[in-house]
Amino acid sequence: MNILGKNKMHRRTLLTGAGSIAIALPWLECMGEKKLAHAQAGTVAKRFLSVYQPGGTIADQFWPSGTPDAPVLSPILKPLESVKSKLLVLRGLDMACAVGEQHQAGIIGFLTGSTQGAEKPGLTDGGYSYYPSIDQVIATKISKNIKAKASLQMAVRWATGVSHGLLHPINAANFEDSAQLSPIPPRLDPQQIFDDLFGTLTPAVAPTPAANSAPLERRKSILDFVIGRYAEVSTRLGPIDRAKLEQHLTKIREIELGLSRGPVGSATCRAPVRVDTAGYNPATGLNSNEEGSIVDISTDSLIPTVGKFMMDMMVMALACDITAVGSLQWSDTEAKHTFPWLNLTTHHHAYQHDDSPEGIAACAKIGTWYSEMHNYLLSAMDLVDMGGHTLLDESVVFFGSELSVSPTHAKNNMPFLLAGRGGGLRGGRLAVFNSTSHNNLLVSILNLFGDPRTSYGDPQFCTGALSGIA
Amino acid sequence: MPGGPINAQACSVPVAPSAPLRRLTRFEYNNTLRDLASITDNPANAFPSEESGNGFGNDAAAQSVPDILAEKYISTAANIASTLTQPANVGNLAACASAPAVSDELTCVRSVIDGFVARAYRRTVQPAEADGLAQLFQKVRVKETFTSSLAAVLEAVLQGPDFLYKPEFGEPVPGRTDVLRPTGDEMAVRLSYLFFGSMPDPVLKQAAASGELQTPAGVQTQARRLLADPRARQVTAFFFDNLLPIAALSALERDKTLFPAWNAKIGSLLRQETQTFLDREIFEGPGTWPGMFTAKYTYMNDELAAYYGVAGVSGSSFQQVALDGLKRGGLLTQGGMVSGPIHSNQTNPVTRGALIVKKLLCQSIPLPTGGVLAQVKVPEPTSAPTARERFSAHSSQAACAPCHSNLDPAGFALENFDAVGQWRDQENGVTIDASGNLPLVGAFSGPVELGQRMAESPEAAQCFSRRWMEFGYGRVAGERDACALKSTGEKFKAGGYNIKELLVELTQTDTFNYLPAVRE
Repeated sequence: MNILGKNKMHRRTLLTGAGSIAIALPWLECMGEKKLAHAQAGTVAKRFLSVYQPGGTIADQFWPSGTPDAPVLSPILKPLESVKSKLLVLRGLDMACAVGEQHQAGIIGFLTGSTQGAEKPGLTDGGYSYYPSIDQVIATKISKNIKAKASLQMAVRWATGVSHGLLHPINAANFEDSAQLSPIPPRLDPQQIFDDLFGTLTPAVAPTPAANSAPLERRKSILDFVIGRYAEVSTRLGPIDRAKLEQHLTKIREIELGLSRGPVGSATCRAPVRVDTAGYNPATGLNSNEEGSIVDISTDSLIPTVGKFMMDMMVMALACDITAVGSLQWSDTEAKHTFPWLNLTTHHHAYQHDDSPEGIAACAKIGTWYSEMHNYLLSAMDLVDMGGHTLLDESVVFFGSELSVSPTHAKNNMPFLLAGRGGGLRGGRLAVFNSTSHNNLLVSILNLFGDPRTSYGDPQFCTGALSGIA
Repeated sequence: MPGGPINAQACSVPVAPSAPLRRLTRFEYNNTLRDLASITDNPANAFPSEESGNGFGNDAAAQSVPDILAEKYISTAANIASTLTQPANVGNLAACASAPAVSDELTCVRSVIDGFVARAYRRTVQPAEADGLAQLFQKVRVKETFTSSLAAVLEAVLQGPDFLYKPEFGEPVPGRTDVLRPTGDEMAVRLSYLFFGSMPDPVLKQAAASGELQTPAGVQTQARRLLADPRARQVTAFFFDNLLPIAALSALERDKTLFPAWNAKIGSLLRQETQTFLDREIFEGPGTWPGMFTAKYTYMNDELAAYYGVAGVSGSSFQQVALDGLKRGGLLTQGGMVSGPIHSNQTNPVTRGALIVKKLLCQSIPLPTGGVLAQVKVPEPTSAPTARERFSAHSSQAACAPCHSNLDPAGFALENFDAVGQWRDQENGVTIDASGNLPLVGAFSGPVELGQRMAESPEAAQCFSRRWMEFGYGRVAGERDACALKSTGEKFKAGGYNIKELLVELTQTDTFNYLPAVRE
């Protein structure tokens, strides 16, 4: 089972696992936000989560009926009924920026509002985003050098097709705020993520990496030396090479700063229950091929188990202030994996290209399952009490895909959802726009975090924030 | 056209070659730790994915450092340092390190710096650098044990730029102001990572120290020696696993009713067939690239021979088997090569064609976008009895034809092989027409003739040398590699397209022997 059981979890409960371990006060101060009588109206959002689902949806089974203020959830969205009051369905947004290869441009534009960069000479793969993704912009504002980790990216069953396990324009959703055209690879191994985030909290279960248990002073001495070495070598290099080393150096500095704030797990926070994922191969993408003919039934069968485990960890990473920004990718834009638990034995990509009744039914079934998973996430966030309000109340969760309609691969009227009440986001509604560029949505999300800008991503696709979000 | 010819008209004027800073790939990190410290559990497998970049995951232009990688470098270095300083292992760093008297500690650390650290840096450690490391030891030693302090030094080394990267600063070349040449140590690193995917061995270090690597001739001597080492075979296998669709044949999913003979074991045997064929051709046989397309033999064991319906093969080890040269003969007719690109129980001439045209002929055929994309529709599986008819109907549309006329013919030639690589004369009762004309290589009828056209194609040979250059130099070949591509291609041709000679030629280019005087 997972930790996010049926009972509402209180902050205090979270900390009971601490036992007699000393409490690191400065770290706890971050957690002890002032209690608010009501949800976050008038304040800025505190946590951001993006969730990517591949392959778009089936429009006539997705959009709610009813009125904007009293929407009736469609078959695909029905699983989200229990969190409907904190859900804002966005209709009429186009991903106008998604210029480039049909799938690649979609995932690249999703969080960046950028067209796909030019392809590299000699390759036909196309390039990456010209702009950072909003999660990284938000992380720089509210998380980097404040929380233990600037942001967390996780992916389930990732890099399935042509990318064969490697980072590629076809599977990259997050882009560095600090370096141009730099995609961020997600974490893939659920057990490693557990060890990294929570390993030191449950010494009985997790092996303690030497790096985390080493005395702080020793670690600082080592990092000081290493930082000096990177700085020294980089001065002897040309500008392009220097930029590479300096990017690396910046990351090490951030890690060093994290040490003095208290390393992950040196303070007290109860970890989620470690879930057995034996049989799931996080690197199975390395075995994939362009056509998706490689099937790993064992790994595919465990997608729901691993997905829930990753969501458990993501929720606790936010609740425990390990980070304030996360991204979860369900596969990549190729999604060349099967869904054995839904009795769908061909890969998702094939169903997307199949506009027969069977293909459409399969895509609808998959979309409905993703809604169930999203409900699992949002409900879990809504069970964590942050002192008079829930984790979901102080967060903004952006859910979307790289396509709108599976068979046509269109990118107008995108299936986008916002959830949470962070920054005064108002849920329980259907917001209807008229072929508005989704860059405007990205501006609105940034505004919820107190970022005052009026344009984001490629300016030719942005006319300013959406109205009626908060 | 990005994949097209690169302008080589200016080769009479020397061009300062590009020499971007390279970081160890996961493959190289694992191999290096194996050779440096006998760490054999492939610690880099826990690092995040590399960017695909040039298709081999070692593209210097695509090596940014995400948070998780920076963290993994630190935690992995800590774990390795901790392992290396365990009581059972610490003596391997230096005999003195097991239990030194306090007064001997610093001397002992100095000897680890001169030994282990110099090997990790793949060069001599400068006195000031050694002092810095010794100071780190002393700083940590104030509160920690000797072992923990020594481990701190190793930890710092293993996450530092001198280990994780391959920085090159070069030395002057008499009479040239536009270029530098790599120092002996730097050239040893270039050579050993090209042929071993790992750090230099002692003989190479010796050659570096003696000045032998200052001339292309000296570099060539070492290249030939390294190429004769079994580790070079691992690197060529890595290259082909990334170039050809054979890496994961064992996981190919097929309908058991339609293909009762197919199973995961057959898939892995097919991969082994192609790997064995390439390996033995290159390292024990004639080893030319055109020869791969026309060889009238392959390698099988008893189980695979039974799958192919070949009699007279016994035993589980792979052995050379003669082919008739009618139905099969050459790389393109091997079961793994024709089933790897197929994603269902039905063959697909487009995906097979793409393997040949894009990967083996280096032609850039962009994926459809925009208005063309809107018209793309994969043919219904039952729309016609043969794949040729199904795909021709769709590919002859005006929007599709310009690209598909360059892709599909190569796939049509392989239609006699079904989705699991077995020979068939008919599809759904209709005799298969395996003829075609691929603009770049000419007309053919059937898979063996396609192989002959590929063998005769200068473009196929040039593409192969380009793929090796991209892998070997860790880049996408660009304008500044034009002359290296041209000269390597010419020498490849002059040497009868021998692959081992091509690999040696990779070490004889300006790109390999110099770096630009003005650093980028």
